[in-house]
Parts: sequence; structure tokens; C-alpha cells
Amino acid sequence: MIELIDVEKRFGGVAAVEGISLRVPSGKVCALVGTSGCGKSTTLRMINRLIAHDGGEIRLDGQPIDSVDPVQLRRRIGYVIQHTGLFPHWRVARNIALVPRLLRWPKERIEARVAELMALLGLSFDELAHKYPHELSGGQAQRVGVARALAGDPDILLMDEPFGALDPLTREKLQEEVARLQSSLHKTIVFVTHDMDEALRLADHLVIMRAGRIVQQGSPLALLRAPEDPFVESLLGGLERGLKQAALMRVRDHMGSLGPSLPSASRISIDASLRQGLSIMLRDHAERLTVVDGKDVPVGELSLRRLIKETQWEQPTSP
Amino acid sequence: MGTANVAVKSRAAPLQWRWPLVWASLLALCVLGMPHLEALFRLFEPDARQVVYTRASFATLLWRHLSVVAVAALAGIVFGVLAGIAVTRKRGRDFMPLVAQLASLGQTFPPVAVLALAVPAIGFGTWPIIMALLLYGLLPIVRNTLSGLLGVDAEVKTAARAMGMTPWQVLISVELPLAMPIILAGVRTSVTINIATAALGATVGASNLGDPIIAGIINNNTAYIVQGAVVIALLALTVDSLFDMLQQRLKTSRSAA
Ligand SMILES: Nc1ncnc2c1ncn2[C@@H]1O[C@H](COP(=O)(O)OP(=O)(O)OP(=O)(O)O)[C@@H](O)[C@H]1O
Ligand SMILES: [Mg+2]
Repeated sequence: MIELIDVEKRFGGVAAVEGISLRVPSGKVCALVGTSGCGKSTTLRMINRLIAHDGGEIRLDGQPIDSVDPVQLRRRIGYVIQHTGLFPHWRVARNIALVPRLLRWPKERIEARVAELMALLGLSFDELAHKYPHELSGGQAQRVGVARALAGDPDILLMDEPFGALDPLTREKLQEEVARLQSSLHKTIVFVTHDMDEALRLADHLVIMRAGRIVQQGSPLALLRAPEDPFVESLLGGLERGLKQAALMRVRDHMGSLGPSLPSASRISIDASLRQGLSIMLRDHAERLTVVDGKDVPVGELSLRRLIKETQWEQPTSP
Repeated sequence: MGTANVAVKSRAAPLQWRWPLVWASLLALCVLGMPHLEALFRLFEPDARQVVYTRASFATLLWRHLSVVAVAALAGIVFGVLAGIAVTRKRGRDFMPLVAQLASLGQTFPPVAVLALAVPAIGFGTWPIIMALLLYGLLPIVRNTLSGLLGVDAEVKTAARAMGMTPWQVLISVELPLAMPIILAGVRTSVTINIATAALGATVGASNLGDPIIAGIINNNTAYIVQGAVVIALLALTVDSLFDMLQQRLKTSRSAA
């Protein structure tokens, strides 16, 4: 668990971040979102003591980070840096092996770990292990960056705009992969992003920052349902907020049982999002969709009328 | 290739020995064969009593010349690189302008003047010339060490710290290797200049390849001057091509990024 309690950082008298309090339970993903220069990277870097905080307290699993040697602390925390920061004079395999080597793992274990991570991140060992970073594509370099951060098997992972410099398709692919990895690895993750869709997609807990302060935090759905001020609302997509919200809701949770009326010819998978459902309704001019399971067997119905009537759309969930 | 060869050996390109070998052979031929070239040098000085410098063998002179340059270069590397490292650390930053200025001062101060000042203080012989060469050659080493270390990508250094490398590990495994091509270029400049400058040692009793030149000037014997100059030039070319070979190797064995 990561806890920040009223944390503050000043650069030459000017506060870069102030009054930051947040809690990320073990195994959860927290996203820091905000405009450029609002203190996201600073907040992230205080967690592994790359930057010393000036006020408040930061605890990992209850232990204040000041009580741990920074070098030891950092070896326990994975870090994915903006623009990868791979060592240009080391090959891919050695870059990934960095933290295990610092931790003095036996050679065989390191080798196995590098091969395992490269496979996990979809990097071909034979093709890439012996390349230098400048010989990689942007997407490959980012994957290597993530592999390097995971190599020491840290419980905590900090990621600073991990997919910042990628094209939208590669970016989405990597997001999916990180989501998939997270569902099996259960790391405690704090990541920074400019991309609200990325934050909504990956985060359990969303923190919106402005000018060094937290404006609002909570689950993505809670924020979408009840943004507390216009800034948060505009970050959350303004008029598109409804669709972003729908993207986070699943057909499974909002379908009704098959009615007596004739089933609709338009179909949607039970695992799809409501956003996809709405899109199909618009495309097919259908007010109702037949929900099918993995074997294409109808299991329910998604009705626009019912969706609109559902109270959950507008009201915040009570805590 | 099934398992991860993590301790990746650098698959460096083979060293390109061609030019160093060419220049070194010419140098060896010249040094060992000088007595046999009498007929050639006779052309320069038909009337001189002697046309090949013989007060000491060229091999001996070459060895002395090389030792002086090597000692000065080693000292220059130790001082220069250490100073460069020291002022790029957090605690030494304040001294950076001072060190850069001192190093430029060393180079603007003519080696002859250093000799003139050093001889009364420490006497004739090898030490004054080593001191002069050290001061003269320090600037390129310090300057390149500074620009090499300052040029290391901040993102890479942050990543190194973030992964849990100690400051010492960051310096040894990241900063120095990445700065090495530039540092090496500085050492190359320094050594090449000093091979020529070392000849001045002959004026203060440090016998080396400058001897034939000085003797030639005093006795008005062009042949002597040519012999000293040619051997010094060949030595400079040999050493310079060795550095070039090392730099090429560095370039091919790591990223250009
Ligand atoms: N080392 C530093 N010295 C002085 N000021 C700094 C330093 N690092 C950051 N700042 C300032 O602190 C503020 C927050 O910076 P930070 O890097 O945390 O922003 P960010 O939210 O990560 O921005 P971006 O999205 O552009 O990466 C900025 O105003 C920045 O200028
Ligand atoms: Mg940032």
C-alpha cells in the first residue's frame, strides 16, 4: 500500500506540489492526470525518493520512506520513465537485467528472468535481446522500459507517461497488455498520463491534479458521474463524458432478460462495453440489441429506453 | 540461442590495425635504418663533417621522447578526468568555472615559458618538460571530460538512479562509458600536441627526439633537423592512428545515440 499524507515539495521556495494526500491499496492502479507542469512527475518521483519531499509523510506498507536507504528502496520499486531512459550503451538483455544484477541474483536466475519478461511483453528474444536501444522502434523501446521496471519483481510500479510517445494504435495495444499483465501480476501501480482515456481504462483510482494540488480523486465512474468542478469536467471529456462513462460500464451489468417481443436482429457480446452497445444502436437504428454469450447464444437484451431510465447514470454511488 | 546471454560480451568489430601498422613500420624503419641513410642526407648538407645524428641512437631518443609524453599524458588523464568528475558531482559544481578556467590558462601559458620558470625552480632534466607538457595538455582532457559527462542524457541518469544504482555505479557504469568517446578524443588531441611539444625538452637537458633538431639549429645542419622532425612526425602519426583505431572501435561497439 502506498500512502501520501499532506505531502509537499518546494523548488526554491515555490511550491511544486502541496497538500497531496492519497492512498493506493495493494494491487490497485492509481492514475495521476492533469495539465502539463501540475506536479505529476514530482509526485511520482517523491515516492521512490528521486526527489525528497519537504513536508508531510510518504509510507509504503505503513513504513515511512525516509527510514529506508534510498538505493535499497528504489530496487524494490519499478520505475518506467518518460521517454524510456534506456542505457544506450547496453543491449536490450542487459538493460532488462539491470535491477536483478544490482540485487545480485545468480546468473542463471537473471537469464531466465530476462527471457521470461521478454516473452511476457511480446519481445522476441532471438531478434531483440542483442540489439542496442537505438535499434528499436518506439513501441519496442517502451516495452523494454516496462520489462526493465518489472525485472526485480517489485511490488510497486511507478510509470511516468509510459506510452507517451507512441502512435494511438501501439499505445492502445500496450495499454491492453499492461491491463492483461496487471490482472495476473497484481502490482501496486501509480502512473502519470495526459491521456484521460488511458487513465479511465487502466485506473482503479483516478487523481486529478491542477497547479500542484489534487482537485478531485475517486474511482473513474464516481468522477465521471459527479465531477466537482468545470476543470475536472472538461478533463473528463466535457460533452463526451457520457460516452466515456459508458465505456467503463459493461453490457453484462445492464442488460435485461429476453422479453416476449421479437428479439432484435442486432447483436452485441455480453463482454462488450455500453459504449460499444450505443454505437451499434446508432449504426443499426435499433433501440434494442440482443445480448449473446461467447457461443453466440442469446442471453438477454440491451434496451436504450431502459438504459436512459437507469438511475445509476447520473447519481454518484453512495460511499 | 535458447537462454538469455545476459552478460553480453561486446561483439566489437575487430580492431583496424592497418594504419597504425603502416606508420609504426615506417617509424621503425626510420629509427633503425637512420645510419644507412647517410647518402640521402648528404644531399641536404654536402659539406658537413657528419650528416647523421649519432650522439645517441634514435631508438634511445625515441624511447625517452615517448616516456616523457606518456608520463605527462598519464598524469594529465588522472588529473584531468578526476577534476572533470569532481566538478560534475553535486558537491563540486561550484568549482566548475574555476577548473575550466585553470585548464585554459594552462594552455594559453606557452610551454617555453613554463620551462623558463620551472628550470630555476627544479633544475634541468626531465621534470620541467613533463610539467610543461602536463599543463599544456590538460585543457583538452578537462574540457572533453566536462563536455562528455555533461552531455550524458539526463533521462538516462535519472533512470539509472531510479533503478537503484548507487552514485558510484552510475558514474562507472553509465556516465563514464557514455562520455568515453569524447574523453578519448580529448586525450588524443592532448597527446598528439605533446609529441611535438616534447621536443622542447632538448633545450633543458631532457634528451629526446628534440636533440637532433636543436643540434641541427646550433650547428646549422639541416640534415639533423630533418631527421628529428621526420621521426617526431612519424611518431605522432603512429600514436594518432592508434587513437583513431580505438575511437572507431568505441563507435562500432556501442550506440551512436
Ligand atoms: N528540479 C526542479 N527544479 C525546479 N523546479 C522544478 C523541478 N522539477 C520540477 N519543477 C517544477 O515543478 C512543477 C511540476 O513539475 P512536474 O515535472 O512534476 O510536472 P508534470 O505534471 O510532470 O508535467 P508534465 O506533464 O509536463 O510532465 C513545474 O512547474 C516544474 O517547473
Ligand atoms: Mg512529467
